[in-house]
Amino acid sequence: MSGPNEDNTQLSSHFLGDLLDSIIVDVASECHRIAKLGLDHNLEEEEKELRLSAQARARVADPSNSGETNNKYVVDIFGRTHPSVASEIFECMNCGKSIVAGRFAPHLENCMGKGRKARRKVTRSSTAAQNRYSRGSPVSTYSPYSNSTSTNRLSNGTPVGEEYSNGTYEEP
Amino acid sequence: MSHSHKLVIKSSVSRPPTPTPTPDANKDHQDQKPSLQEINTKFIESGEKERLKELLRERLIECGWRDEMKALCRAFTRKKGRNNVTVDDLVHVITPKGRASVPDSVKAELLHKIRTFLASNAA
Repeated sequence: MSGPNEDNTQLSSHFLGDLLDSIIVDVASECHRIAKLGLDHNLEEEEKELRLSAQARARVADPSNSGETNNKYVVDIFGRTHPSVASEIFECMNCGKSIVAGRFAPHLENCMGKGRKARRKVTRSSTAAQNRYSRGSPVSTYSPYSNSTSTNRLSNGTPVGEEYSNGTYEEP
Repeated sequence: MSHSHKLVIKSSVSRPPTPTPTPDANKDHQDQKPSLQEINTKFIESGEKERLKELLRERLIECGWRDEMKALCRAFTRKKGRNNVTVDDLVHVITPKGRASVPDSVKAELLHKIRTFLASNAA
């Protein structure tokens, strides 16, 4: 009579095999289902890739699409074109002037006191804003603007504690 | 009234004698070693089989075994053609590699748990 331990080992292996077979059938069944329902889009990988690369080559060779650098008007992946300078006009929230969107960032530099000459411009709103800057507390109304103007200044390593540091730091 | 609570054994009552346990080869007070069938039943009915199956499934997913098996199936399906594949085909494709590539740690973990179950249920 074999000891209980040996029996147990064999028995355990038997049960493990049983569990494993069951899981194997599950996996096979699932793969079968995917195959029959055509849910595996990458199945005919090679064929598809050949087809897609042929399409891409055709598109590149097509003379009606120029490369990005030749054209003033770049075509994006949806086929739309954008002019190189944004032409929409809207009103600056800081000073109320009508500004062309493409010139808005440089306008803000002056308008909000970044440029050398701009400091001289004292309007009620900008002094109030600058006072707030010097106290160091963030001003939520100006957040969309200062990001665009301050990013190029801060990229040289000045600490970005507040977003509104362009008013407080001395220019080099 | 008190009489009804006493156990009264009347000789006129005929009933079959209580069977005495028949002596057997290897005995304790316990029954003989349960059959495979009985163990299996207990395995399933106690929910242990399902629990262990889920554990095994989880481990096999974690270690990438399942993905390997699926890749084998896909390769086979690609060759044979998706409309000609049967579940049986796929089972035969996966079984040898599947049984062989279970990581040792996973095997050990499951075997340990099964052995524990057997020890407490079948001796």
